[in-house]
Amino acid sequence: MVTMLIMSLAMPFFLTPVMAQEATKAATEAAPKVEMAKDVYFKTEGPVSGNPVPELKAADYPSYNLPYPLSENRILIWSIAQQHLYFGSFVLAVPIFCMIIELVGLLTKDPVMAKKYDDLAHLLVKISLTAYSVTAILGGLLLFSFITLYPDFFKYISSLFRPVMHIYALLFLAESGTLYIYYYGWDRMAHGFAKWMHACLGVLLNVFGSVLMMLANSWASFMMSPAGVDEQGRFLGNIWNVLHNALWNPLNVHRIIGNMVFGGGIVAAYAAYKFLAAKNMEEKAYYDWMGYIAMFMAVGSLIPLPFAGYWLMREVYGFRQQMGITLMGGLLAWLFIIQAVLIGALFFSTNYYLFNGMERMRGAEKYQKYIKYILFLTTAAFIVWLTPHTLVMRPAELKAIGGQQHPIIGNFGVMSAKNGAVNTMIMTTIISFLLYQRSNKIITVKWEAWGNAALVAMFAVALVNNWWLAIYGYFIPANVRVGLSVPQVMGTLTTLFVGSAINIAMMKGSKLTGPIEWGKISVRSQYALFALAVSFTWLMALMGYIRSSVRLFWHVMEVFRDTSPWAFTHTIGFAANVMSMNVMAFWLFVLFVFWLGELTSKHAVAEARKEAARPVMAGGSE
Amino acid sequence: MWTEGYMPVQMLIHLTVMMAVYVGANYFLKKIGKGIPAFPQAILIWLGTYSYFKFAVAPPLPSTLLYTFMGLVTIVIFLFISSTEQGWTDFKRPILGTLMAVNPMYKGVRTFSFVVLPLLIGYGTYDFNVPKFDEPIDLRTVHPAPPASTTVRGQNFTLQTAQNPYRVEDNGEYMEPGHEKKYFKSNVFEPNAPKYLQYVKEGGSIFFQNCHFCHGDNLNGRGMFAFAFVPIPANFVDPGTLAQLQETFVFWRIAKGGPGLPTESAPWASAMPPWEEHLTTDEIWKVSMFEYWHTEFFPRTWE
Ligand code: HEC
Ligand code: HEM
Repeated sequence: MVTMLIMSLAMPFFLTPVMAQEATKAATEAAPKVEMAKDVYFKTEGPVSGNPVPELKAADYPSYNLPYPLSENRILIWSIAQQHLYFGSFVLAVPIFCMIIELVGLLTKDPVMAKKYDDLAHLLVKISLTAYSVTAILGGLLLFSFITLYPDFFKYISSLFRPVMHIYALLFLAESGTLYIYYYGWDRMAHGFAKWMHACLGVLLNVFGSVLMMLANSWASFMMSPAGVDEQGRFLGNIWNVLHNALWNPLNVHRIIGNMVFGGGIVAAYAAYKFLAAKNMEEKAYYDWMGYIAMFMAVGSLIPLPFAGYWLMREVYGFRQQMGITLMGGLLAWLFIIQAVLIGALFFSTNYYLFNGMERMRGAEKYQKYIKYILFLTTAAFIVWLTPHTLVMRPAELKAIGGQQHPIIGNFGVMSAKNGAVNTMIMTTIISFLLYQRSNKIITVKWEAWGNAALVAMFAVALVNNWWLAIYGYFIPANVRVGLSVPQVMGTLTTLFVGSAINIAMMKGSKLTGPIEWGKISVRSQYALFALAVSFTWLMALMGYIRSSVRLFWHVMEVFRDTSPWAFTHTIGFAANVMSMNVMAFWLFVLFVFWLGELTSKHAVAEARKEAARPVMAGGSE
Repeated sequence: MWTEGYMPVQMLIHLTVMMAVYVGANYFLKKIGKGIPAFPQAILIWLGTYSYFKFAVAPPLPSTLLYTFMGLVTIVIFLFISSTEQGWTDFKRPILGTLMAVNPMYKGVRTFSFVVLPLLIGYGTYDFNVPKFDEPIDLRTVHPAPPASTTVRGQNFTLQTAQNPYRVEDNGEYMEPGHEKKYFKSNVFEPNAPKYLQYVKEGGSIFFQNCHFCHGDNLNGRGMFAFAFVPIPANFVDPGTLAQLQETFVFWRIAKGGPGLPTESAPWASAMPPWEEHLTTDEIWKVSMFEYWHTEFFPRTWE
């Protein structure tokens, strides 16, 4: 559907170059026919319709006379692009939440809860409104920076993507318009049919947003895996081939899901911040609830993310073994250890938040004894997850081991083990969720023992199956091994869906041991929410850097060489510092945006808070 | 304690057993009314895990990894005790008790720690700053990214697409990686063995004429000269080498050896000879096929 939308929007633009070409054809009737050349990726023939990439010298890169490291254009572009991407993700992700929360509100029968959800969605759009203009400003800044700092490169890219860039701009307009109607029409379209129309606007907003992002993704993925051009970088007349390059879709999927986690993280951090600053119990209760909802959505999206990541990485390897090895085994491999640590931090903080969340329910004690087992499994899986393929060691240690590969933990370094580990971590998180949902309920269904037995059996089978496949993966060829991840994922998803279904069925008609006492959660848990959000922004900085630097000395992989004086790869320490600066700058920006939202939202929140004190059942989103 | 081939799983089993012992002991002690308070419990868990990683794992873990593991364990212990309000209060009690010296014993502990802690920290600072002469930690890239193409003996190979010309079924067609499984453990000396096995045999002779001095007759990187080199030669039995690499990567590494390592492989310490100077490309393909066959790994593919 999205494809169709792009196509129809793009039609007029696609026609232009073809028509121009025909015109030239007619004009030069007698001249030899159009030169044909071979697509670097699709291997099809196409008419040469653009200029080759320019051959640049170091002097062709204008730069400011700023003190190092700002004298490097690359650092400037890197930071500005990063900030633009952060805010872009923010304003794409938050509407996804608004859409879901508004729909949940619409479908909730209890009018008080429905209103509570609706107000939350409304508040979120307000926050994203300011962020929206920041995104546009940063986008403009990025554009000017490209034009001034990398003029030749930008000229080339824009000559290729000319129609796409225009559609991008138009979509941006459409998105803004929709966003404003969505926001300012909120109260007017509050009832009956109009409310449903309003919810549809929310969907439309997200369609525009997603297409927008996919178009922007194509520029990044084109630079990694060019297509639609010949070896000299000449455009071959088919813009769809340029868009639809090898890494476009994997990147799209990973980023859409990633953005959703990010949006949840930001909202959770906002709630945590307000919780910590809250002056009375009412406020605390409201923001505790909000933090929970946001966290719930972030983690819901987090669960498929590793799978999307593996797909992306597989396609990278498939495109160029060289690029895959630079990433995972070579120059950039150390950064993947940081990635592993950050991803682990996400899972640990989620579980920790849930454990703490149990405290706001009376009757949770009977489940708290399982915490140690959940933590143990998660830790064991995490040890496997973070053990790198290539160990960092002193030569003396190397000799003691007798080689690069440690006979025990060396085996944890490869993909098969990682798959087993990440599935285990996901499953333990699911277990935490199920226990959390039960915490304030006494189950009364007659088949309680059977239900529990089914749950235990299902998790046991899924876990054992997952571990067994992880071990088995060592003994089969890589292309078959990739297939193993399917039963592994199926097992994990079964525990998620069937497990939740059994759990919910069991809770039917259960006796409440008491309401969820929103606001009674520990302060520590709110820091866990911060940890979740900050780890995630750091992860984005890290992975974006990895994605970009894997091209090494190419602007466009194997087509357009980067001959700037900064075409070398920075040390890990230096790169990590730039990333951290970017993360900090972003959070300062975000605080500013929150503060702005504060100036106008006092009233709305006060209203919403009144209802918040009302007790709700665990599980939040039912 | 360790059986070759099962070690990674064994380690996970050990950890599970330790966990079971911890839970069991805790349960028992609580039953007889001698439960251990949270604070010493945390210390015990930490020390137990540390001793395991430090002393039971052999060969020893590299220090960077040991620190990472212990950092993780420390955090997890903290998460564990602070995940319930009760646990957190229990854990803090002796710390607060010491700081406030609520009884003579705590007072003693406080006096002791106020003397010993600064000394320890002082020593730590000294130890951190004093110049050391250990060899530095090595961030070596073992598997650098290969070039897009390589020229060996005047012939150009595109590594993304090149195929081993000897990896053939009996009818002469290219054999997809994975299909050679049927030939594992077969007798290569059979006079009318399939083509594939005959090439493996030729590869084997090349290996034993040239490579086993370093890479070992079991292909485990422990040849007779192996320990004269830093780094020691690659261990092909480990799933981290051949199984992770495309056949063309192995071809390129054999042809170019240590001298042909790309920039990112600093300090290019590998003693691996550039075999293109001694072997033909055909011989290189055959020997790589032998290595895969003998270790029963499959070259990496991405389709
Ligand atoms: C002088 C000792 C020596 C000899 C002889 C030798 N190698 Fe090596 N080989 C090494 C060393 C050292 C390395 C690098 C190990 C490292 O980088 O950790 C290596 C690495 C390799 C690698 C790369 C493995 C990887 O994981 O990247 C291959 C493949 C290889 N050798 C094959 C051969 C073959 C085939 C022969 C015989 C034709 C041979 N070697 C002979 C010492 C030797
Ligand atoms: C829970 C697991 C994962 C999380 C939370 C995660 C998170 C992220 C995030 C936040 C980004 C930045 C997206 C953006 O800026 O739009 C990203 C990008 C990326 N991820 Fe993941 N990821 C996960 C798993 C993986 C895995 C397993 C791999 C591969 C082994 C991977 C490879 C990449 C790459 C190459 C990028 C760069 C794409 C880009 O932003 O340009 N990810 N990931």
